[in-house]
Amino acid sequence: MSTPAPILRMKICMAGEASVGKTSLIRRYVLDEYDDRYVATLGTKVTKKILSVPDPKGSGPLAVSVILWDIMGTSTLRELLKEAYYHGAEGIFAVADHTRKDTLAALDAWSRSIRSVAGDIPTFGLVNKHDLPADPTFADAEVDAFFDKRGWLWSYTSAKTGDGVEDSFRRLVEQVLAGRRAP
Amino acid sequence: MAMSALERPDMALLVRQRLTENAGDLDALFALAAIQARSGRLSEGLTILDHVLRLDPRYPGAWRFKATLHRMNGQTDAERSARERAEDAEP
Repeated sequence: MSTPAPILRMKICMAGEASVGKTSLIRRYVLDEYDDRYVATLGTKVTKKILSVPDPKGSGPLAVSVILWDIMGTSTLRELLKEAYYHGAEGIFAVADHTRKDTLAALDAWSRSIRSVAGDIPTFGLVNKHDLPADPTFADAEVDAFFDKRGWLWSYTSAKTGDGVEDSFRRLVEQVLAGRRAP
Repeated sequence: MAMSALERPDMALLVRQRLTENAGDLDALFALAAIQARSGRLSEGLTILDHVLRLDPRYPGAWRFKATLHRMNGQTDAERSARERAEDAEP
């Protein structure tokens, strides 16, 4: 009798300023639910989801238990809590808000903080709330240039409608797996 | 300390409200420990964090946060001990 393939574990951290939609994105991805009321995250929330993704080596699907760490989007506590939050992380979702341009530039500081603990791990940019009218100064080309310059994959998302959410999570997991298995 | 333009300004208030509703709210206690430590009150932060860990020894990130606060306090043995506990406790 063959032994079932082990479930791989992967810690992914959410990053970004307060109220960009980090918690809502996880809720949409894991539960396929959305709640319009804003409840600020305090402390740490950990959510798990098991998904099946193609093995980068091509030997059939892999089961991955993704452990999503949702954190307080409070930049002034970031340095203090960075080891608590980011130790062992293998991937980052860097979340900005399509209606607030300043939340995009703020991602650099989040990324630096995380990388100082977890190293040069894959980062995936999410420009959330794409269902809402954009900040008028927030041009698509500028968003693209921002992520391109940093070499991060990215996507517009809407936790409200679900657009881009499932695909983005899957892409980051696949990117992390591909890096893990690199020689 | 100046507040970031992007920081949620009502965090301390939010923590207080949550603890008024439920004094055992672990998320609010964890946040309160961080607020105390950031204000330079490391001992108070550690006391609150120890309370969190008594209530839930597996609270995510709490042992590593405790290690950070001990390091800031110059308590290397306690820092090492907390770091070892973190290895067993993390989800």
